[in-house]
Amino acid sequence: MKMVDACKRMVGVLLAMLLGLPLAHAQNYPEKPVTLIIPLGAGGSHDLNARVFTSVIGSYLGQPMVVRLMPGAAGQTGTAAAVNAPADGYTLIFSHNFIDQLQQHVEKLPYDTTRSLETIVRLNYAPGAIVVRADKPWKTLQEMFDYGRKNPGRLKFGHSGNWGAAMAPGAQLLAEAGVDATLVAHKGGGPAMQAVLAGDVDFTIAFPSVIESQGDKVRALAVGGDPSVLPGVPTFKQLGYRSSGLEMERIVLGPRSMPEERKRILREAFQKMNGDKTYQNLMKKLGENTVLMPGPEYEKLRARQNVEYKALVQKLTGK
Amino acid sequence: MWESFLEGFHLALRLDTFAMMSVGLALGIVVGALPGFTTTMALAILLPLSFFLDPLVGIPFLIGVTKGGIFGGSIPAILISIPGTAASIATTFDGPALTKKGESRKALEMALFSSAFGDTVSDILTILLIAPIAVLALKFGPPELGAIILLSLVVITASTSGVFVKGLLMLAMGLFFGIIGQDPIGGVSRFTFDLFPLRSGIPLLPMLIGVFALPEIFEAVERKGAALFTSKVPGAEGPRLTLAEFKRCFRTILRSTGIGAAIGAIPGMGQVIAAVVGYTAAKNASDHPETFGKGELEGIAAAESANNAVNGPTMVPLLTLGIPGDNLTAILLGAFIAHGLRPGPTLFQEQAPLVFAILVAMVLANVLFIVIAYLTVPLFARLVTVRKSLLLPMTVVFAFTGAYVYQSDPWDLYLLVFFGVFGYLARKLRFDISPMVMGFILGPILEYSLGQTVSMSQGEFMHFVFVERPIASFVVVATPVVAYLLWRRVARLRRRAVVTASAESR
Repeated sequence: MKMVDACKRMVGVLLAMLLGLPLAHAQNYPEKPVTLIIPLGAGGSHDLNARVFTSVIGSYLGQPMVVRLMPGAAGQTGTAAAVNAPADGYTLIFSHNFIDQLQQHVEKLPYDTTRSLETIVRLNYAPGAIVVRADKPWKTLQEMFDYGRKNPGRLKFGHSGNWGAAMAPGAQLLAEAGVDATLVAHKGGGPAMQAVLAGDVDFTIAFPSVIESQGDKVRALAVGGDPSVLPGVPTFKQLGYRSSGLEMERIVLGPRSMPEERKRILREAFQKMNGDKTYQNLMKKLGENTVLMPGPEYEKLRARQNVEYKALVQKLTGK
Repeated sequence: MWESFLEGFHLALRLDTFAMMSVGLALGIVVGALPGFTTTMALAILLPLSFFLDPLVGIPFLIGVTKGGIFGGSIPAILISIPGTAASIATTFDGPALTKKGESRKALEMALFSSAFGDTVSDILTILLIAPIAVLALKFGPPELGAIILLSLVVITASTSGVFVKGLLMLAMGLFFGIIGQDPIGGVSRFTFDLFPLRSGIPLLPMLIGVFALPEIFEAVERKGAALFTSKVPGAEGPRLTLAEFKRCFRTILRSTGIGAAIGAIPGMGQVIAAVVGYTAAKNASDHPETFGKGELEGIAAAESANNAVNGPTMVPLLTLGIPGDNLTAILLGAFIAHGLRPGPTLFQEQAPLVFAILVAMVLANVLFIVIAYLTVPLFARLVTVRKSLLLPMTVVFAFTGAYVYQSDPWDLYLLVFFGVFGYLARKLRFDISPMVMGFILGPILEYSLGQTVSMSQGEFMHFVFVERPIASFVVVATPVVAYLLWRRVARLRRRAVVTASAESR
């Protein structure tokens, strides 16, 4: 019986993925599939999250949502494509806060995300935790940072790539704590974790699912988000850190100048999808949360990120 | 250990596991054979499907897609000189020449059997040596990776066909093309001439299709299509692979399997490098290196067994450390987590039978793979026997759509044409294209690991590399020695070729 159910659901998802579910809604938007640009590569967490929600949202939107991967130049290629697309609501982008708000302070960009793009919804967030190998002497973040302050530059922070989901929060914390560490770039979170295990670097920022699988080989010193993320590990907030944007926020953005009615339709669809059982179930299986934040609310956070990231980049690059 | 293995073996013998693995293999072959669609894309799209399956069905299903995809890429590589996935670049060195001789079926069957052999042996090695491989993987940090990449670059360039200086020049051009775009360490744009699309660098697949497939088309146009894709037996797909031919290539297959498995155990290398290094080693070891690149069956065996032999060991860091070594294993990690399994040291302690079951399924997948691929090969082989007036335009269509769907960026089409002309000129001027491609692929990895090593060394670079990293310093010291030995060998072979040529002319 269970098997039959599973089969039915599987077929349903397959169909939804292939065709979408063009329900008989008498609306004029959307009347064709909506393209969702991902400015990141295949197989990353954005890709996986999007595969899940695009397979469900079609039934609430009335049209399928089609993923289009446009990686390159640390997210700039895909973002530029989204900015230059017509503001008709048929091209959206699934991005994160560091591409959206931090990048502009690092390099001169041919677009302005804040002016051109508006948040449809924040889908969920990924809280990172500071992790050291179990045989390191530091039991708390305080102890590690004390060591870092006494030995400027000795502490090695292995992150998952420039201005990415590990580097930016890590650099923010280090800046707030007044610690001067050596930053070592890696090609993704996997290699950075490997460097921690091999002892090539002292600490990294990793996501809870990765940390749990390491068992007692590593120790988490502090984590983003709320205390339920990693029970027993203090959160950055509890330790008194005030920087915002320490977590990776997965956000869906659309053109700011698209009709308000269409923004409303999209936001409603995401809101309804968030209550969908299949969606909840699939995201749980991926180990991701479904803490949705409505677009207008996220816009306020976005403005704060802009200011903080600007200060951070100025501090790090000395510009 | 042995008990968990036996238990795992029993777990893997399930009908639905086999059925879904077959579906995965077939899907993988088709997607891999379509130029521009990579195995990674196929895996990402099919991942949610596996959520609804039992772990022992869903994960083997995805493994089937991976295995099928890597073989599938060699089909267009052999038939129309378009690498279906980057892993099959070394297959384009000899495959199309065999197809032109009307031996496409033989070439495809060689690719199939050497792939299956390399895969099976590497999977079995993985089961036997999982613990040592895991230890080895942790020993290879950025300094070691950088040193090995340097060695590979030297070996590939030293064994280039034709004039050595020309090979070096092509290598330098490849390294230059690899520099274009955002610098991976500092994030600064280099050689982009302020053109925004160049910031992301030159994409690999459009470049490969450009340098390998377009020159074939230009040449066909030049000769009015006369010499392209002639099949000696019209309407048939050519002779089959004989046992004697397989035996002749067996040493090469064994060598390539070893090379592929070793490269698979080192995080950050991957199938593309394995294929080219395996090919180069076969050419160096051969007593007739001059036939390589001109339709040598052994070349296909060398490349295909090497790229598939990577499959087994790449699973080790994933299973034992919970760390995916490449995009494919990153998606598999997603599948494991979705099934409530957390790869890593704890998985082995708690679920050893299940891990073994998955490894056993990997071996069994190869048996299914032989059956499925063997049945489909004649169909694919027959494709090139359609009328020449249709095949050539079809190749053009596949080349352009393949380059476009890779990233859906129209800019890639300009780059495709640029590299097509580049490849054509190189061919006309007798420059070997492979050092350029390898420079392009390996250069950025070398640069990245060098940058990482510099930041890790905290200002004491020489001390760090030569005192704290013995493996890296050993490889760095060995590089010039290997280069000298290769150079001497190539020079001796060339002298011998000159002597025999003059003896014959007398």
